[in-house]
Amino acid sequence: MRRRQFLKMSCVLGAGVALCGLGVDLVPIEAWAEEIKKIDRLKSARQTTSVCCYCSVGCGLICATDEKTGKIINIEGDPEHPVSEGSLCAKGAGMFQTTEANEHRLTKVLYRAPNSDRWEEKSWDWAIDRIARLMKEERDKSFITRNAAGQVVNRLETLAHMGSSNLDNEECWSITAWARSLGLVYIDHQARV
Amino acid sequence: MADGKSILVDVSRCTGCRGCQVACKQWNGLPGTRTKQTGTYQNPPDFSHQTFKVVRFADGKDKDGKPYWHFFSDMCRHCMNPPCLAGAQGDEMIHDEATGAVVYTEGTSKSDFEMSLSVCPYDIPRQDPDTKVMYKCTMCFDRITSGLPPACVLSCPTGAMVFGERDAMLAEARRRVDILKKTWPKAQALNADDVRVIFIVTDDPLKYHKYAAGV
Repeated sequence: MRRRQFLKMSCVLGAGVALCGLGVDLVPIEAWAEEIKKIDRLKSARQTTSVCCYCSVGCGLICATDEKTGKIINIEGDPEHPVSEGSLCAKGAGMFQTTEANEHRLTKVLYRAPNSDRWEEKSWDWAIDRIARLMKEERDKSFITRNAAGQVVNRLETLAHMGSSNLDNEECWSITAWARSLGLVYIDHQARV
Repeated sequence: MADGKSILVDVSRCTGCRGCQVACKQWNGLPGTRTKQTGTYQNPPDFSHQTFKVVRFADGKDKDGKPYWHFFSDMCRHCMNPPCLAGAQGDEMIHDEATGAVVYTEGTSKSDFEMSLSVCPYDIPRQDPDTKVMYKCTMCFDRITSGLPPACVLSCPTGAMVFGERDAMLAEARRRVDILKKTWPKAQALNADDVRVIFIVTDDPLKYHKYAAGV
């Protein structure tokens, strides 16, 4: 059994056990969660410490997972964390929005065609194929091996990569490494905006 | 009753990061509000029934032409003698004895909102247009009665906001004002004897916000 299969298996088992423990009907649990005040749910919640993913300061977080629903109900600064002592900036303080509790999170690929004024739902396969195709075509066409002085530069000046302010530190690193490997020199993200 | 709790907001330490504003929304489960770019970092532009905390950004030029850019993390002051409570008939507002927090309940839907707003020196209460319930900062009443600091105070990365026993906060306010006065002669704690949320400013309060020091 490969690790991934094992993980999948244990997830299924875990979910099964959780369902048995709670009874199959999940509606009362949701009702429970709605009725009980957040602060009371917080007191009985499982607390897990984590680190804010955004910048290199590395502020500490406490994630509170509801004991009955198994969902994260709150994320706030960890007062015992040596770096941040509980504080968080606007990005870290909004960390809870990255959980599934945020109804505005996109769950499907949205595509706006050139000159179109509307978004269309697309599959991941379609989107990744299209991105890869366009990038390869552009790179094959415009890749610069040597500059005017004859020096090897291996760069691509007609493509830029714009990241998102919701990328974490490690994602930024991976994307930068990947973009440079293609020869991109214009790499930025909008965290400063 | 002991002297209850207080929040100290030393705006000389504020960097305008708005972590407090987001933490307030996050803890209270309040949605974002649709706003427009108004040429300032202040956003949302004002309090609403869904916004209890706003970092106000004020910029301009002093008489000598020197530019200033002030941040003011505005919120309910939780007055020692809340004028908004004066007209309260029954259960629409709570003035908690142990902490001193002023908390509105759903009973405010029957209150005279215009009156409550007009008597508030700091222009704080806001009304839900649909339910007519009045909303404002609760000093995180649920948190402070469970041993946690208010969400905004916990989040503050620079220590501009501090929460604690009122005596200790008053002493800390005096200590900080004494230090600040050496650099900014206008440094002062705004209405420290009358409110529980004490702002320390380093300039004329009117330069921060129209109602920074009350009407």
